[in-house]
Amino acid sequence: MLKYKPNYQNKWKRTIFQLLLFLAVSFFAAGTAMAHKVMVFAWVEGDTVYTESKFSGGKKVNKGRIIVYDQQENRLLEGETNEKGEFSFKVPEKTTLKIVLQAGMGHRADWTLPIEESESVASRQMEAPSPAVADAEKPQHQVQPISQINAEDIQSAIEKALHKELKPLYKMLAESRNQGPSVTEIFGGIGYIIGLIGLAAYFKYRRKN
Amino acid sequence: MHISEGVLSGPVLISGAALAFAGTAIGLKKIDYDKIAHAGVLAAAFFVASLIHVPVGPSSVHLILNGIVGLILGWGAFPAILVALTLQGVLFQFGGITTLGVNTLIMALPAVFCYFLFSRMSGKKPSIALVSSFACGFLSVLLSALIAGFALMFTEEDFFEVAAFFLFY
Repeated sequence: MLKYKPNYQNKWKRTIFQLLLFLAVSFFAAGTAMAHKVMVFAWVEGDTVYTESKFSGGKKVNKGRIIVYDQQENRLLEGETNEKGEFSFKVPEKTTLKIVLQAGMGHRADWTLPIEESESVASRQMEAPSPAVADAEKPQHQVQPISQINAEDIQSAIEKALHKELKPLYKMLAESRNQGPSVTEIFGGIGYIIGLIGLAAYFKYRRKN
Repeated sequence: MHISEGVLSGPVLISGAALAFAGTAIGLKKIDYDKIAHAGVLAAAFFVASLIHVPVGPSSVHLILNGIVGLILGWGAFPAILVALTLQGVLFQFGGITTLGVNTLIMALPAVFCYFLFSRMSGKKPSIALVSSFACGFLSVLLSALIAGFALMFTEEDFFEVAAFFLFY
C-alpha cells in the first residue's frame, strides 16, 4: 500500500501537469480571430435594396464596407453597415446588381441580385406615383378612369401586401444561410484525415521495406 | 484567420502558394513513420478547433492550436495544416481554394518557427516547459497575425490595423 501510494500520486501529478500544459498552449494559441467567413444577403423591397451582413459565428458585421457594382463592374455606390450589419440603398439602376461586402482583414463576400428582381422594382417605381396623383385629381370623370386606376391600385396593393408577407421569409432565408458547418461535414473531414494517415503510413511503410 | 477569395492580389497568392508548397514538401520528407499518427491527430484537432467558440467578453475566441502543432511536428506542421485547411475550405467554405497557400503559410510558418525556438525547452523541467509552451502559443498566434497583415498590406489595408484586428478581436 505504502509503496504504491506515492507512485499513484506522481502519476496523478503528471496527468494534471500535462493537462495544464495543454491548456496553457491552447489558450494562448487561442488568439481571437473569430470569423472564418462572412456572408452578405440582399433583397429588394419596394424601391430599396436591403442587405444584411454576418460573420459565420452569427455576429453582425459592424462597419463593413458594402460596394455595389453593376454587371460591367462599374462601381455604383458604396456604404457602411450599421451595428446590426444592415445597409440599405435605393435601387440605383435597372440592372443586375453585384453587392460586395468587405469586412476587413481579408474577409469578403458577394451577392448577386438578379435582373428581374431589380427590374420589377424599377418599373413599378416609375408607375407607382402616377396612380396616386390620378386618384386625387379625378373624382369627377367617373366611369372609365376609375377602372384603370383600380387595376393599378390593385397591383400596387398586392405588391405591398406581398412585400409585407415576404419580409419574414426573406429574414428567414438570410438566417438559414448563416448555419455553421453540420456534424456530417465535421465527421466527414475527420474521416478524410484518418484516411490520409492510412495513405501516408502505407507509402512510408513501402519505402521502408 | 482565413483570408477569403478575391481579396489578395495575384502575386501574393502565387508566392504564398509556392512557399506553402515548399514547406509541405520539406514537411513530408521530415515526417517519419512514427510521426504520421501524430500529424494526423493534430491535423484533425486543428480542423475541428476553429469550430469551438468560447465567448470571452464581447467577442468570442477559438483555439487555433498552431503553436502546439508546430511544437510537436516541426516541419510536419505544413502538411498537417495544409490538409486541415483544405478540408475546412471544401467542407465549411472557410477561406478559399486559391488562398489556400497563403492561409497555410500564415498558420504553418509561425508553427515551424516556434518549433525551432521552443522544442528544446519543452523536454526539460516542468516549469520551464510550461513557460515555454505559453510563449510558444502566444508567439505563434502573434506571428500568424503579422503574416496575415503582411499579406493583406500588399492589397488594400493598413498593416497595423489588420494585425491588431487579428490579435484583439
